[in-house]
Amino acid sequence: MSAQQAIKVENLNKSFGSGDTFVDVIHDASFTIYKGELVALVAPSGAGKTTLLMMIGCVDTPVSGKIWIGDEKVYDNKWLTKTTRKIRREKLGFIFQAHYLIPFLNVIDNLVLLPQANKVDEKVAKTKARELLKYFDIAEKEKAMPSQLSGGQNQRVAIARALVNDPEIILADEPTAALDSARSIDVVKMLKKIAKEQNVAIVMVTHDERVLPYCDKIMKIENKKTVFEDVSAVK
Amino acid sequence: MIHLAKEDIKHTFGKFIVTAMGVGMLLGIVLIMIGVYRGMIVDAEVLLDDLAVDLWIVQENTLGPFAESSRVHEDLKNTIKAIEGIDKSEAITFQNIQLPRADKKVRVMAVGYDIFGEINPINPQRLIAGRTLKHDHYEIVVEEKTGFRLYDKIKLSRHYYTVVGVTHGAVSSGGDSLVYISLKDAQELQFSYSNKRIHSDRARGIYNKDSHMVNAVIATVKDGYSIDEIADTIQKWHHKSVYTKEEQKIVLTRNLIEKASKQIGLFTAILILVSTIIIALIIYTMTLEKMKEISIMKLIGLPNSTIIKMIVEETLLLGIFAFIFGNIFSHLIYSKFPKRVVLEIPDAWMLFAIIIIASILASFIGVKKVINADPTAAIGG
Ligand SMILES: Nc1ncnc2c1ncn2[C@@H]1O[C@H](COP(=O)(O)OP(=O)(O)OP(=O)(O)O)[C@@H](O)[C@H]1O
Ligand SMILES: [Mg+2]
Repeated sequence: MSAQQAIKVENLNKSFGSGDTFVDVIHDASFTIYKGELVALVAPSGAGKTTLLMMIGCVDTPVSGKIWIGDEKVYDNKWLTKTTRKIRREKLGFIFQAHYLIPFLNVIDNLVLLPQANKVDEKVAKTKARELLKYFDIAEKEKAMPSQLSGGQNQRVAIARALVNDPEIILADEPTAALDSARSIDVVKMLKKIAKEQNVAIVMVTHDERVLPYCDKIMKIENKKTVFEDVSAVK
Repeated sequence: MIHLAKEDIKHTFGKFIVTAMGVGMLLGIVLIMIGVYRGMIVDAEVLLDDLAVDLWIVQENTLGPFAESSRVHEDLKNTIKAIEGIDKSEAITFQNIQLPRADKKVRVMAVGYDIFGEINPINPQRLIAGRTLKHDHYEIVVEEKTGFRLYDKIKLSRHYYTVVGVTHGAVSSGGDSLVYISLKDAQELQFSYSNKRIHSDRARGIYNKDSHMVNAVIATVKDGYSIDEIADTIQKWHHKSVYTKEEQKIVLTRNLIEKASKQIGLFTAILILVSTIIIALIIYTMTLEKMKEISIMKLIGLPNSTIIKMIVEETLLLGIFAFIFGNIFSHLIYSKFPKRVVLEIPDAWMLFAIIIIASILASFIGVKKVINADPTAAIGG
C-alpha cells in the first residue's frame, strides 16, 4: 500500500517587503508529506518555519508556487478557492506554543466551536469532543474554563481541539515549548499515536532535540529550501 | 449551540452590567427629558381643559394672558353676554404671585374669578379637601403641592387669606401650581398700588385709578351656534382679539412649548449621540481585548460571520440592558422632579428602536476591526 499524499508543495517562494526591507524566506521549496507521518520541522530561529507552516496552513499567502492539501490543489500562484478559511476549518488542525483556547468558553465549548461552524450536528460534535477529552485524560474537566486548568491540561485540550474536526493535517508550531521535558515527550508520543491511529499528517515545528527520536521524518530549512534529514541519525 | 456573545458576556459579567447601568442612566435621563416635555404639554392644557370655555376674548392684537400681558375692562363680559349665541360669559384674571411660607416663598399662578358668576374655573374633580370660594374676600383655594393645608392663613399684600379648599394637580402652563382667589381680591392684588405709591401719586395729582380691569373674558357658546362665526363677530365689532379653546391651545403650544421642545429635543439628541458613542467605544475596547481570540478564531477557520455576529449581538445586548436599566432608573427618579414628568410607553419603545439602531451603528467599528484582524497575528513569532 503506497502512502497517501497529505501535503504537496512545489517550487514554493515566499519573501517579505521590498527594497531595503526585502527578505527572501523560502526559495523554490518542494516536498511531499504523507498521511500517518509525524514530521519535525527544525531550523534556526528566523529561518522561516512559522512562515512555511502558515503557508501550508493556507493562512499566509506565498509569492508563487503550488500547494496541494490532500489531493486538492489549493494554490497555484494564487489561491484557487474564494476563502481559504473553509479549507482550514474542514481539513486542518492547528496547535500552537501557547494553547490559544478561547478564554470565555469552557473546555467542551472550545472543542465544539469548530464542528459547529462546519454544521456538524451538536450531539455528534459533543460525543466526538467527549471521546477526545477522555482520550487525553481530561474528561472530568469538560465544564472547566481554560483559566482553571494547568498549562499541560490546556495544551491537551488544544490538541483535542485540533483533532475534533477530523483533519487530514495537523500543523503544530512548537507545541511543547511551554512544557517540561517529560511532558514534552508525552505530547510528542501522543501526536505520533494520533498520526498512526487517525492516519493524519502532522508537521511539528520544534527546537527540542529530545523529541526528534519520536518523529518519523525531520525536515530542515537550509539555504531557504527544505531538505529531509535521516531520522536514524538522531535515534 | 454555543452562543459566543452570551458566553463572553458571562465571562465579564460584572463589568458588562456596570457598563450597561452607566449607559442606562444616560438613557434614563433621555426618558426623563421626554417625560418633562410630555409633562409640559399636559400641564399646558390643564387650565384650558378645566375651564372648558369656548371663547377667550383678550386685548386687541395680543395673544392673550398666557403669552403676553392682556387687559380688558371687566364690563366687557356684559357686552359679550349680550351677543346672540353666547351662553355664559365671565371676566377672569391670571397673575403670578409668591405665597409666603414659613421657610420660603412659593411661586404660583393665581386665577381670579367672579365667585357669583356663572363659570367656576375650579374643576370639582380636582378638589381633594374643602370647597370652592364662597366669600368675596380673603379666601383662597390652593393646590396641594404649595404645601398649605386647609384653614392655613396666607398673607398677601395687606390681608390674610384663609385656605378654604385644596386641589390636586391644578397647574399653569408653566408648571406652577394654580391658586384661586376672588376676582375682587385679584384685581386689588394686580392693579392696586401700595399705600406709599398712592400717597406719592396723590401728591403728584394722580387720582384716577381704575382697578376694574381683568386679563380676559371667557365665554361659552349656546348649542347650535358657530363658535367661529361668533368669534369673528366679536373681533370685528369690539376691537378685541378672540381665540377659541383650540386656538388658545395652539398659542400655548407654539409660544411656550415649541422652544422647550426644541431645547429638550436637542438635549435628547445629544444624549442619544453620546450614548451611541459610549456604546461604540465600549464595544471597540471589548473587541480590542478579544483581538487575540478573534485572530485564533479566524486562524482555525471560523467564518467572519460567526465573529461579527458575536460583536453585533454583544452590542445589542449592551443596548438592551442599558435600555432596561434606563427605564428602571427613570421610574425610580421621575417623581422626584419638581415639574410634572409623564413617562409614556410609546416614547420608551421609540427610544428602544433608536437604541437598537444606534447599537448596530456602534458595532461597526468593532466589526471593522474584526474584518481587518490578521489571523497570523495570534501566533506572533
Ligand atoms: N510579516 C512579516 N513581515 C516581514 N518579515 C517577516 C514577517 N513574518 C516573518 N518575517 C521574516 O521572515 C523570517 C522568517 O520568520 P519566521 O517567523 O517564519 O521564523 P521562524 O523560523 O518561525 O523563527 P522562530 O523559530 O523564531 O519562531 C524572519 O526573518 C522574519 O523576520
Ligand atoms: Mg516561529
